[in-house]
Amino acid sequence: MKPTRKKILLYIVLPLLLILAAGGIYFYKEYNRVHKDTAKLKPDFTLKATNLVKEFEANEQASNKKYWDKVILVDGVVKQVEKDDRGFYSLVLGDTASVSSVRCSIDSLHSSEAAAVKQGTTIAVKGICTGFNEDEMLGSDVILTRSVVNK
Amino acid sequence: MKKVILITLGVFTLSVSANSQKYFTKAGKITFDATAASSPEQIEAVNRSATAVIDTKTGAVQFSVLVKGFSFERALMEEHFNENYMESNKFPKSEFKGTITNNSAVDYSKDGNYNIKVQGKLTVHGVTKDVTTDGKLVIQGGKINATADFSVQLADYSISIPGLVADKVGKSAKISVSCSLELFKG
Repeated sequence: MKPTRKKILLYIVLPLLLILAAGGIYFYKEYNRVHKDTAKLKPDFTLKATNLVKEFEANEQASNKKYWDKVILVDGVVKQVEKDDRGFYSLVLGDTASVSSVRCSIDSLHSSEAAAVKQGTTIAVKGICTGFNEDEMLGSDVILTRSVVNK
Repeated sequence: MKKVILITLGVFTLSVSANSQKYFTKAGKITFDATAASSPEQIEAVNRSATAVIDTKTGAVQFSVLVKGFSFERALMEEHFNENYMESNKFPKSEFKGTITNNSAVDYSKDGNYNIKVQGKLTVHGVTKDVTTDGKLVIQGGKINATADFSVQLADYSISIPGLVADKVGKSAKISVSCSLELFKG
């Protein structure tokens, strides 16, 4: 029996079109994908800012493997609230007696929450870990990016 | 008593001279733009957690930045930047170590604008190359605002751009540095 036009259409052309369309939508979405709002992400790790610094100081390589690109919720004393000339905030958490800290670069969508933070208070910040910037003179920092003040 | 005064004075002058020479920031801004001339969209990223130190006495300049801290508007672009081009798991840091070659022309104690020349070694993607650039220092109220723009050839740093995206990602990248440094109080 010869395949009819209808059957070719139904079993070959239609599925092909569907696959193409699905692929197209997937690539379009993937290409235009923006970062998820950190405020809506669940933390992979929750710990004290001072302990996070200690872990990196003890073993940077192992800590990199453990924390890189992960969502981390840290709590600690605000050592500094910094605002740059373009209005971007960084919150520095940790032990005030130590030069090393967790430095959280605040997502610009959440600037206003960071602006309300007072130095010396204890807060929790959620951000994505980019690693450890070591500096003997200035102190070494664990750096979190796209951070938000946790509520 | 005299001894105490002498020691106090000694410590004081020591700390002053040691303090008065280094300026730093830990929130320096470094922008990276590798948009090809023909590209319909911007391939650019910004990092706001660069560490920078300028030694005003010797003119030594140092920058360091975590590669994963560069943020792109498109998430996919950022992932490709980290995984395919910069291999940030293998080479997590980029660094610049150099000197201001005309440092004597800068009077750090006086407010003003100064054009500087910087020469040094840039390490990106595990490759270290000599880089020379012009920059600008604006000294105001005890703070230093440092800016510089320069271009690097991606191939020099063993970063290869696949043909598929060559119309978007350029062969060279423009790197802009903008930092506000304050006096380091050890």
